[in-house]
Amino acid sequence: MAQDASLSSFQESEWEVILPVLYRDRAVQNVEEERIRKLKTRLQQLRWRGAKRGGQEYAEKSCARCRRALGLLLNRGAVCQGCSHRVCSECRVFPGRTRVWRCTVCYEGRNVRIKTGEWFFEERAKKFPTEGRQETAGARLLQSYQELSKISVVPPTPPPLSESWCSSSPGRLQELSQPRGFNKSVENLFLSVTTHMKKLSKSQNDVTSDKQLLSTSPEQGTGRPERRSQSDTAINVTARKISAPDILQSLSPESPKRPANPVLKQENLLSHPTPGPLFSGGSRQGSLISINSACTEIGNFDNADVTGEVELALRYCFKTRSLEVCIKSCRNLAYGEERKKKCNPYVKTYLLPDRSSQGKRKTGVQKNTVDPTFQETLKYQVEPAQLATRRLQVSVWHLGTLARRVFLGEVIIPLASWDFGDSTTQAFRWHPLRAKAEKHEDSSSPNHGELTVRAKLVLPAGTSKLQEAQEGTGEEPSCDGQLCLVVLGAQNLPVRSDGTLNSFVKGCLTLPDKQKLRLKSPVLKKQACPQWKHSFVFNGVSPAQLRQSSLELTVWDQAAFGVSDRLLGEARLGSREDPAGGAGSGSHSKLQWQKVLSSPNLWTDMTLVLH
Amino acid sequence: MASATDSRYGQKESSDQNFDYMFKILIIGNSSVGKTSFLFRYADDSFTPAFVSTVGIDFKVKTIYRNDKRIKLQIWDTAGQERYRTITTAYYRGAMGFILMYDITNEESFNAVQDWSTQIKTYSWDNAQVLLVGNKCDMEDERVVSSERGRQLADHLGFEFFEASAKDNINVKQTFERLVDVICEKMSESLDTADPAVTGAKQGPQLTDQQAPPHQDCAC
Repeated sequence: MAQDASLSSFQESEWEVILPVLYRDRAVQNVEEERIRKLKTRLQQLRWRGAKRGGQEYAEKSCARCRRALGLLLNRGAVCQGCSHRVCSECRVFPGRTRVWRCTVCYEGRNVRIKTGEWFFEERAKKFPTEGRQETAGARLLQSYQELSKISVVPPTPPPLSESWCSSSPGRLQELSQPRGFNKSVENLFLSVTTHMKKLSKSQNDVTSDKQLLSTSPEQGTGRPERRSQSDTAINVTARKISAPDILQSLSPESPKRPANPVLKQENLLSHPTPGPLFSGGSRQGSLISINSACTEIGNFDNADVTGEVELALRYCFKTRSLEVCIKSCRNLAYGEERKKKCNPYVKTYLLPDRSSQGKRKTGVQKNTVDPTFQETLKYQVEPAQLATRRLQVSVWHLGTLARRVFLGEVIIPLASWDFGDSTTQAFRWHPLRAKAEKHEDSSSPNHGELTVRAKLVLPAGTSKLQEAQEGTGEEPSCDGQLCLVVLGAQNLPVRSDGTLNSFVKGCLTLPDKQKLRLKSPVLKKQACPQWKHSFVFNGVSPAQLRQSSLELTVWDQAAFGVSDRLLGEARLGSREDPAGGAGSGSHSKLQWQKVLSSPNLWTDMTLVLH
Repeated sequence: MASATDSRYGQKESSDQNFDYMFKILIIGNSSVGKTSFLFRYADDSFTPAFVSTVGIDFKVKTIYRNDKRIKLQIWDTAGQERYRTITTAYYRGAMGFILMYDITNEESFNAVQDWSTQIKTYSWDNAQVLLVGNKCDMEDERVVSSERGRQLADHLGFEFFEASAKDNINVKQTFERLVDVICEKMSESLDTADPAVTGAKQGPQLTDQQAPPHQDCAC
């Protein structure tokens, strides 16, 4: 859409102002729709009350509205000009000062057309016949925004600045940004959203474990050889040995240590299929973390033939910003263990693409039934704008003996097209269960977390003026500039199976003459969301040089024996000759880089998506 | 069914529903002519001399009592800057009436009126009601657009005309009330062509051609 093209040039700061207006409008609109609905219902009731339909009634001579009998001579009734029904004198309304009247229903019909604004929509339809009355400009904008944000990986990344905006009117930019001082605030806003949702994402990032499982090469495998075992039980045991205590420790330090014997552990699990929520904020019954999901997500589960349906309703509460998935029941499920005719079903949800354990919600386990009733509400705290990028995965599982999981089917509901404003979509509905999709297709989008940095170009007094003049001359400014870069921290990194990393950052500034300046941060051990707060200082660089330089930041996981560190992700700032990089990400980081270069001696905060 | 689930997840404030109908009004005009100030004066009775450029769009809601009816006004304040044109023009279609504003101390803003009017013609419904408002009439010393020129242009475009001052609260309320009135007139007109008899305003020729067909309005 052409509209989208221009909308995409808006900065996050602008969206930050516009979005609340759109939401406010939506609230007004909801109230209005509710009012209109009531008005129409009332009119409908009024019509039905008269209930004269078809031709049957003229024989019996009664008022079409109140059904009172009409006389032959007195009170004979008269025909309403609006609906051509005969009505008694009581059921007439004289709206004007004239003797012209309408029956009560016709009159009310007119009123409703006024009150609902129907008249306007009818008039407007003369010019715009395709325009529905439902869709407002605000709703459309919100949708466009959601589509846009899907494209530009919303969570931490502000949409790209438009070139024209940047170059042609720095003054305007200031006008906008200055009073709000948002450089920081926007990114903080978006960061807080993501952190909110993923802050605790320390344990298995299932998508990545998948990938690693597939691509493990001998030397990489040192850190995680257990996963490659082919024996089911071995995986169960080892994976748990690694992950369980750590998860439990990191999330609920006060919880008592589980026994080390895996079999015992399973007994425990079986006797308490739904342990209480380990931390607050979760749903009442659904457990947020489970020890075993690593196994189910990496494909370590049995498959049953998929049959049956799941009944659920979806709602989004804009006030509390929470998505509520009400799991009511299932029917005709396959038996988890066909031979024994056993089935202990439970339902698990993820808000894809987040497959981390923090994004998991589960219902309790129902015993011995293929038609379980759950009546549980699983909640997600999620920003409205995020919904469009998400798909709700609802899967049904059987919990067998020895905590063996059997997959019974799943439904994936894309939320982008879900109309949360419409009350009819909030009703419970049956969704047929399907077999697992081939492979998680969304794992192809390579988002390896985000790196937050703060950059500043330090120029000696005097040169900064030159800088503002937008490099109009070929005159080379002095070379004693300094690029300061503080690597603040990273999050959503592809963590190890134990949910931690020994991470560090390398910075490499490639100057136009291919000279490379390299710096490295210290290693932070055992952290999933490392906060290095380490500064890189590149000395003796001129703005002109920097404009043609590129800065590559890479995040690494230090290998146990220093053989080969694992590359977690990289981000690049600045010019990039080779076309290998995606156009989108390239231009975006380029613009952020420009921002740094064009505002010397000012800190610019950036959140870089790692690839 | 739907209503039952609604009430459980109620996100509506029914308190707001206490009005007869809702009009949507859009304020347009060049940047810095005083659209936001005008709206703030009307809705909040406040005025700030500082210029803060509107980002995209904003709106305020005000319920007024007019012609025995409670009318809820949703008044949209738009950014004058070209940059936001896509967003602002998107709102034209939903608006029943417009306040097209220029600044009497700013020739350029006056010259742009024609363009704004074209925008309305393009993006809005055919009966869009427009009031032309010359704002900042308190700044008589700096006036560059005479009242006469404003009036002439308004006549030419078929708009009603006001000079107003958000700062001194001159003609602000009057502007909005007049706009509401003309929208109401348009509304009756529109309803009467569908059903001329009800108001009794214009009957006669229409009555005859109306009699036979339109029963759908009253589907009894």
